[in-house]
Amino acid sequence: MAITDLPIFSALRTRMKWHEARQRVLSENIANADTPGYRGHDLKPLDFESHVKAAQVEGVTALRTDAAHFATRPPSGAGPFDTRRITDFETTPEGNRVVLEEEMMKVTANQMDYQTVATLYSRGLGLIKTAIGRGA
Amino acid sequence: MEFLRSIMVAATGLRAQSGRMRVISENLANADSTGNAPGADPYRRKIPTFKTALDRELGADTVRLGKIERDQSDSGTRYDPGHPAADAKGYVKLPNVNTMVEAMDFREAQRSYEANLNLITATRRMIDRTLDILRA
Repeated sequence: MAITDLPIFSALRTRMKWHEARQRVLSENIANADTPGYRGHDLKPLDFESHVKAAQVEGVTALRTDAAHFATRPPSGAGPFDTRRITDFETTPEGNRVVLEEEMMKVTANQMDYQTVATLYSRGLGLIKTAIGRGA
Repeated sequence: MEFLRSIMVAATGLRAQSGRMRVISENLANADSTGNAPGADPYRRKIPTFKTALDRELGADTVRLGKIERDQSDSGTRYDPGHPAADAKGYVKLPNVNTMVEAMDFREAQRSYEANLNLITATRRMIDRTLDILRA
Protein backbone atom coordinates (compact mmCIF):
# COMPACT_ATOMS: atom_id res chain seq x y z
CA MET A 1 0.00 0.00 0.00
CA ALA A 2 1.38 3.33 -1.05
CA ILE A 3 1.50 6.22 1.38
CA THR A 4 -0.91 8.14 -0.81
CA ASP A 5 -3.56 5.44 -0.34
CA LEU A 6 -3.96 6.28 3.33
CA PRO A 7 -7.41 7.82 3.80
CA ILE A 8 -6.10 10.96 5.45
CA PHE A 9 -3.64 11.66 2.66
CA SER A 10 -6.13 11.03 -0.13
CA ALA A 11 -8.65 13.30 1.61
CA LEU A 12 -6.06 16.05 1.96
CA ARG A 13 -5.03 15.56 -1.65
CA THR A 14 -8.60 15.99 -2.87
CA ARG A 15 -8.83 19.16 -0.85
CA MET A 16 -5.58 20.44 -2.34
CA LYS A 17 -6.83 19.68 -5.84
CA TRP A 18 -10.00 21.58 -5.06
CA HIS A 19 -8.03 24.63 -3.98
CA GLU A 20 -5.88 24.32 -7.07
CA ALA A 21 -8.96 24.23 -9.32
CA ARG A 22 -10.48 27.14 -7.44
CA GLN A 23 -7.34 29.19 -7.90
CA ARG A 24 -7.69 28.75 -11.65
CA VAL A 25 -11.35 29.77 -11.63
CA LEU A 26 -10.46 32.86 -9.57
CA SER A 27 -7.65 33.74 -11.95
CA GLU A 28 -10.13 33.62 -14.85
CA ASN A 29 -12.40 36.00 -12.96
CA ILE A 30 -9.60 38.45 -12.25
CA ALA A 31 -8.20 38.34 -15.78
CA ASN A 32 -11.69 39.09 -17.11
CA ALA A 33 -12.48 41.75 -14.51
CA ASP A 34 -12.84 44.39 -17.25
CA THR A 35 -14.41 42.31 -20.01
CA PRO A 36 -17.91 43.51 -20.89
CA GLY A 37 -20.62 40.96 -20.19
CA TYR A 38 -18.41 38.57 -18.26
CA ARG A 39 -19.97 36.79 -15.29
CA GLY A 40 -17.70 35.46 -12.60
CA HIS A 41 -17.59 31.82 -11.52
CA ASP A 42 -16.66 30.00 -8.37
CA LEU A 43 -16.42 26.38 -7.27
CA LYS A 44 -19.10 24.74 -5.23
CA PRO A 45 -17.88 24.11 -1.69
CA LEU A 46 -16.29 20.71 -1.34
CA ASP A 47 -18.72 18.16 0.12
CA PHE A 48 -18.48 14.45 0.78
CA GLU A 49 -20.03 13.44 -2.54
CA SER A 50 -17.54 15.34 -4.66
CA HIS A 51 -14.82 14.01 -2.39
CA VAL A 52 -15.72 10.49 -3.45
CA LYS A 53 -16.20 11.49 -7.08
CA ALA A 54 -12.81 13.20 -7.22
CA ALA A 55 -11.14 10.11 -5.83
CA GLN A 56 -12.66 8.00 -8.62
CA VAL A 57 -11.98 10.07 -11.73
CA GLU A 58 -8.54 11.41 -11.27
CA GLY A 59 -6.45 12.23 -14.27
CA VAL A 60 -7.60 9.81 -16.98
CA THR A 61 -5.78 10.70 -20.17
CA ALA A 62 -5.29 9.02 -23.52
CA LEU A 63 -1.93 7.42 -24.10
CA ARG A 64 0.24 8.75 -26.93
CA THR A 65 1.65 5.81 -28.82
CA ASP A 66 2.90 7.84 -31.76
CA ALA A 67 4.70 11.16 -31.88
CA ALA A 68 2.18 12.42 -34.49
CA HIS A 69 -0.72 12.09 -32.07
CA PHE A 70 -2.19 15.17 -30.55
CA ALA A 71 -1.14 15.75 -26.98
CA THR A 72 -4.20 15.30 -24.82
CA ARG A 73 -4.95 16.86 -21.54
CA PRO A 74 -7.43 15.86 -18.92
CA PRO A 75 -10.92 17.14 -19.79
CA SER A 76 -11.06 20.89 -19.53
CA GLY A 77 -13.03 22.79 -16.96
CA ALA A 78 -12.46 22.49 -13.27
CA GLY A 79 -12.06 18.71 -13.44
CA PRO A 80 -14.28 16.73 -11.14
CA PHE A 81 -15.43 19.83 -9.28
CA ASP A 82 -18.58 21.72 -10.22
CA THR A 83 -18.46 25.40 -11.02
CA ARG A 84 -21.31 27.73 -10.35
CA ARG A 85 -21.99 31.31 -11.20
CA ILE A 86 -21.45 33.70 -8.39
CA THR A 87 -24.57 35.43 -7.21
CA ASP A 88 -25.10 38.95 -8.39
CA PHE A 89 -23.51 41.51 -6.18
CA GLU A 90 -22.77 44.41 -8.44
CA THR A 91 -23.07 44.84 -12.18
CA THR A 92 -21.18 47.53 -14.05
CA PRO A 93 -22.97 49.36 -16.89
CA GLU A 94 -21.22 47.19 -19.48
CA GLY A 95 -22.57 44.02 -17.85
CA ASN A 96 -19.50 42.83 -15.98
CA ARG A 97 -20.25 41.15 -12.68
CA VAL A 98 -16.77 40.66 -11.24
CA VAL A 99 -15.97 42.64 -8.10
CA LEU A 100 -12.20 42.87 -7.93
CA GLU A 101 -12.01 43.34 -4.14
CA GLU A 102 -14.27 40.36 -3.57
CA GLU A 103 -12.11 38.20 -5.81
CA MET A 104 -8.91 39.26 -4.07
CA MET A 105 -10.45 38.26 -0.74
CA LYS A 106 -11.31 34.87 -2.19
CA VAL A 107 -7.76 34.44 -3.49
CA THR A 108 -6.36 35.22 -0.04
CA ALA A 109 -8.78 32.83 1.66
CA ASN A 110 -7.97 30.14 -0.89
CA GLN A 111 -4.25 30.61 -0.34
CA MET A 112 -4.60 30.39 3.44
CA ASP A 113 -6.77 27.29 3.30
CA TYR A 114 -4.32 25.67 0.92
CA GLN A 115 -1.51 26.46 3.33
CA THR A 116 -3.47 24.81 6.14
CA VAL A 117 -4.00 21.64 4.12
CA ALA A 118 -0.38 21.54 2.97
CA THR A 119 0.82 21.91 6.55
CA LEU A 120 -1.54 19.14 7.68
CA TYR A 121 -0.14 16.94 4.94
CA SER A 122 3.44 17.42 6.07
CA ARG A 123 2.36 16.86 9.71
CA GLY A 124 0.84 13.57 8.58
CA LEU A 125 4.12 12.61 6.96
CA GLY A 126 5.83 13.58 10.23
CA LEU A 127 3.58 11.15 12.10
CA ILE A 128 4.60 8.34 9.77
CA LYS A 129 8.25 9.24 10.20
CA THR A 130 7.78 9.07 13.97
CA ALA A 131 6.17 5.64 13.56
CA ILE A 132 9.12 4.28 11.59
CA GLY A 133 11.46 5.66 14.19
CA ARG A 134 13.30 8.43 12.44
CA GLY A 135 11.80 11.28 14.42
CA ALA A 136 9.66 13.99 12.96
CA MET B 1 -0.36 21.51 -13.52
CA GLU B 2 -3.34 23.53 -12.47
CA PHE B 3 -1.30 26.19 -10.67
CA LEU B 4 0.72 26.98 -13.76
CA ARG B 5 -2.52 27.36 -15.67
CA SER B 6 -3.70 29.91 -13.10
CA ILE B 7 -0.51 31.84 -13.67
CA MET B 8 -0.94 31.67 -17.45
CA VAL B 9 -4.51 33.00 -17.21
CA ALA B 10 -3.33 35.85 -14.99
CA ALA B 11 -0.55 36.52 -17.50
CA THR B 12 -3.11 37.03 -20.27
CA GLY B 13 -4.77 39.55 -17.95
CA LEU B 14 -1.44 41.33 -17.52
CA ARG B 15 -0.93 41.46 -21.26
CA ALA B 16 -4.41 42.79 -21.95
CA GLN B 17 -4.11 45.46 -19.28
CA SER B 18 -0.68 46.59 -20.45
CA GLY B 19 -2.05 46.82 -24.00
CA ARG B 20 -4.79 49.01 -22.60
CA MET B 21 -2.20 51.22 -20.91
CA ARG B 22 -0.40 51.52 -24.23
CA VAL B 23 -3.58 52.75 -25.93
CA ILE B 24 -4.20 55.22 -23.10
CA SER B 25 -0.68 56.60 -23.39
CA GLU B 26 -1.18 56.99 -27.15
CA ASN B 27 -4.28 59.06 -26.40
CA LEU B 28 -2.47 61.18 -23.83
CA ALA B 29 0.50 61.74 -26.09
CA ASN B 30 -1.81 62.87 -28.87
CA ALA B 31 -3.99 65.10 -26.69
CA ASP B 32 -2.87 68.11 -28.71
CA SER B 33 -2.48 66.55 -32.16
CA THR B 34 -4.50 68.73 -34.46
CA GLY B 35 -4.42 68.46 -38.24
CA ASN B 36 -1.98 70.53 -40.25
CA ALA B 37 -4.09 71.43 -43.30
CA PRO B 38 -7.04 73.85 -43.22
CA GLY B 39 -10.13 72.10 -41.81
CA ALA B 40 -8.19 68.81 -41.31
CA ASP B 41 -9.47 66.25 -38.81
CA PRO B 42 -7.58 66.03 -35.53
CA TYR B 43 -6.50 62.86 -33.69
CA ARG B 44 -9.43 60.69 -32.64
CA ARG B 45 -9.29 59.02 -29.25
CA LYS B 46 -8.75 55.25 -29.31
CA ILE B 47 -10.77 52.93 -27.09
CA PRO B 48 -9.38 49.50 -26.17
CA THR B 49 -11.91 46.66 -25.88
CA PHE B 50 -11.58 43.36 -24.06
CA LYS B 51 -12.74 39.95 -25.19
CA THR B 52 -13.05 36.68 -23.34
CA ALA B 53 -11.34 33.90 -25.26
CA LEU B 54 -11.52 30.22 -24.38
CA ASP B 55 -7.99 28.89 -24.57
CA ARG B 56 -8.50 25.24 -25.50
CA GLU B 57 -5.05 24.18 -24.47
CA LEU B 58 -5.38 25.79 -21.05
CA GLY B 59 -9.06 24.91 -20.85
CA ALA B 60 -9.77 28.27 -19.29
CA ASP B 61 -11.34 31.63 -20.11
CA THR B 62 -8.45 33.93 -20.90
CA VAL B 63 -8.76 37.61 -21.79
CA ARG B 64 -7.59 39.26 -24.98
CA LEU B 65 -7.37 42.81 -26.19
CA GLY B 66 -10.05 43.06 -28.88
CA LYS B 67 -10.40 45.53 -31.71
CA ILE B 68 -9.25 49.03 -30.89
CA GLU B 69 -12.12 51.35 -31.75
CA ARG B 70 -12.10 55.07 -32.42
CA ASP B 71 -14.16 57.35 -30.23
CA GLN B 72 -16.66 58.94 -32.63
CA SER B 73 -17.79 61.65 -30.24
CA ASP B 74 -17.56 65.29 -31.29
CA SER B 75 -14.35 67.13 -30.76
CA GLY B 76 -14.20 70.69 -29.59
CA THR B 77 -13.01 73.66 -31.60
CA ARG B 78 -10.85 76.62 -30.74
CA TYR B 79 -10.70 80.01 -32.40
CA ASP B 80 -7.15 80.37 -33.65
CA PRO B 81 -7.02 81.96 -37.12
CA GLY B 82 -3.23 81.79 -37.32
CA HIS B 83 -3.12 78.00 -36.89
CA PRO B 84 -2.30 75.96 -40.04
CA ALA B 85 -5.37 73.75 -39.43
CA ALA B 86 -7.79 76.67 -39.04
CA ASP B 87 -10.81 76.56 -41.37
CA ALA B 88 -12.26 79.52 -43.30
CA LYS B 89 -13.88 80.94 -40.14
CA GLY B 90 -10.67 80.61 -38.14
CA TYR B 91 -11.63 77.59 -36.00
CA VAL B 92 -9.28 74.66 -35.32
CA LYS B 93 -10.75 71.21 -34.56
CA LEU B 94 -9.25 69.76 -31.38
CA PRO B 95 -8.73 66.06 -30.56
CA ASN B 96 -11.57 64.53 -28.49
CA VAL B 97 -9.13 63.43 -25.79
CA ASN B 98 -10.02 64.38 -22.23
CA THR B 99 -6.87 64.01 -20.13
CA MET B 100 -8.93 63.56 -16.94
CA VAL B 101 -10.84 60.63 -18.47
CA GLU B 102 -7.58 59.10 -19.67
CA ALA B 103 -5.96 59.51 -16.25
CA MET B 104 -8.89 57.74 -14.55
CA ASP B 105 -8.82 55.01 -17.16
CA PHE B 106 -5.13 54.56 -16.52
CA ARG B 107 -5.74 54.18 -12.78
CA GLU B 108 -8.32 51.52 -13.47
CA ALA B 109 -5.96 49.64 -15.77
CA GLN B 110 -3.27 49.85 -13.12
CA ARG B 111 -5.63 48.47 -10.48
CA SER B 112 -6.56 45.49 -12.65
CA TYR B 113 -2.90 44.92 -13.51
CA GLU B 114 -2.01 44.81 -9.83
CA ALA B 115 -4.84 42.39 -9.13
CA ASN B 116 -3.45 39.98 -11.72
CA LEU B 117 0.03 40.43 -10.31
CA ASN B 118 -1.24 39.67 -6.81
CA LEU B 119 -2.86 36.51 -8.05
CA ILE B 120 0.44 35.35 -9.51
CA THR B 121 2.17 36.04 -6.18
CA ALA B 122 -0.52 34.13 -4.27
CA THR B 123 -0.30 31.18 -6.66
CA ARG B 124 3.47 31.08 -6.36
CA ARG B 125 3.16 31.01 -2.60
CA MET B 126 0.81 28.06 -2.89
CA ILE B 127 3.34 26.24 -5.08
CA ASP B 128 5.99 26.97 -2.43
CA ARG B 129 3.76 25.39 0.22
CA THR B 130 3.47 22.30 -1.93
CA LEU B 131 7.23 22.08 -2.23
CA ASP B 132 7.48 22.47 1.54
CA ILE B 133 5.82 19.05 1.87
CA LEU B 134 8.86 17.61 0.13
CA ARG B 135 11.18 19.29 2.60
CA ALA B 136 9.26 18.28 5.71
